[in-house]
Amino acid sequence: MNWTWFHKLGSPKWFYELTSKWLPWLIGAMVIFLAVGVVWALLYIPPDYQQSYTTRILVIHVAVAGTSLAFFPLMAVAGTITLVWRMKLADMVAKNAAPLGAWFSFITLATGSLWGSVMWGTWWEWSDARLVSMLFQFFLLVGVVALRSALEDNDTAARACALLSIVGCINVVIIKYSVEWWNVLHQPSSPLSMSGESANGPEFWVPTVVMIVAVYLFFAVSLILATRNEILQRERKAAWVQELVSKA
Amino acid sequence: MIEAIQFASFSEFLDMGGYGFNVWSVYGLFTVFVAANLISPVMKRKRIVRDLKRRAVVNEQQSN
Repeated sequence: MNWTWFHKLGSPKWFYELTSKWLPWLIGAMVIFLAVGVVWALLYIPPDYQQSYTTRILVIHVAVAGTSLAFFPLMAVAGTITLVWRMKLADMVAKNAAPLGAWFSFITLATGSLWGSVMWGTWWEWSDARLVSMLFQFFLLVGVVALRSALEDNDTAARACALLSIVGCINVVIIKYSVEWWNVLHQPSSPLSMSGESANGPEFWVPTVVMIVAVYLFFAVSLILATRNEILQRERKAAWVQELVSKA
Repeated sequence: MIEAIQFASFSEFLDMGGYGFNVWSVYGLFTVFVAANLISPVMKRKRIVRDLKRRAVVNEQQSN
């Protein structure tokens, strides 16, 4: 098997050039999906017979919450690559994913609270495992960011964060199945149906899927932008960066 | 799938069936979240490029 692609992938320069080509398309698609998702959700979703117009909150909540679960697996994969192959690029991605993941977790909690406060009659419930495990994910991600800044040596910080990211994946499994293992307030995910016979008809889930795609694109764009900054800083002595800067 | 716009007037749209505060807070938060995480790396990039340019000039002066 030819492993050239794998080593290329680890090269910051290669990543930088590749994302220079991808970014305009990713940003364009992100803008379109965000606009369609938000307008569709706000204007066209019919009011639910029990939840009225608050289902508009769920479109955002579900998209952000679902994407927030991708952070620990991503950081764990990147961390493993860092630990095994010492690939610089993997650590740059992991480093910048952590604070973004904390944002995602926080927005998940805040939008969930804003829905729960009117539909459950409470902003928070400590006995609900879904809520508490998501709060734990937020603290874990803040912890990864703090650990990174506390350790001065880059290699030590990278290895410590990689280990914490791998352990953090256990919590993702708990978040995912919490609604099935313990049934307190948070409902399990609802099945989709084209006919509208189940809880979610297409008038609700299609804009939700559009928003999920939009949020994933936003996640990719934001992480790529941050990683490119990291590359410019860490590779500032490289000839290609100096050339790029002189032209900018 | 797409039914008509659900509101007859702009004030109804703002009211969101009485849940205006919650719905608009979520969309406001979401907007801030998306904007902040796109604008901040763009601003940071400008800072980095400016800084690297200044260093390049200093290095050149030192080598002369």
